[in-house]
Amino acid sequence: MKNRLRVLRAERKWSQADLAEQLGVSRQTVNAIETEKYEPSISLAFKMAHLFETRIEDIFQSDDNSNSET
Amino acid sequence: MDKSNATSVRDAVLGYGSLIVWAICYIGALFLLRKFQLEGWVRVAIALLPILPFVLFLSMVLAEIRSLDELWRRIHLEALAIAFPLAVLLLMILGLMELATGLSPNDWSYRHVWIFLPIFYAIGVLVSVRRYK
Repeated sequence: MKNRLRVLRAERKWSQADLAEQLGVSRQTVNAIETEKYEPSISLAFKMAHLFETRIEDIFQSDDNSNSET
Repeated sequence: MDKSNATSVRDAVLGYGSLIVWAICYIGALFLLRKFQLEGWVRVAIALLPILPFVLFLSMVLAEIRSLDELWRRIHLEALAIAFPLAVLLLMILGLMELATGLSPNDWSYRHVWIFLPIFYAIGVLVSVRRYK
């Protein structure tokens, strides 16, 4: 699953540690999500969407969606 | 993650403290059981002594696991998924080697084998951490 977490974070000039603190997770978790090595739970995804004031599908996209759009 | 510093320090002291007390109890029990000819019930009581601090240590480990975020919980779950089959493999191979070569239970008894289980768990954590790094 692809995600725009790094972009959204960079737009707000937050470090991974800043974002991790606001989400209540470790910095390693944020890094693993950004590098697409770990897919977050639905509750954490909702938390991210709420934090970035956007929809989950604006942060995360399934690989199928990305392929069909290209 | 949400824990205050004071709570974290208290938990760390209790966790490491119980681990140290357990280690002292275990080594002390080994020493007493090897060096002294004690009565049967005393020997059993000494052998069971490390259980108490270990239960405290276990409760601290569980509390720590529950306080982890979802990635770290998964890492520990995967560590168990690696450690458990390794433990089964070790016991199976030792059992077969005992049949094949007459491997002495004095060299590979319960007190020699248990130490491998936390080592397997640590290996599991390392492998899983590398995956998400």
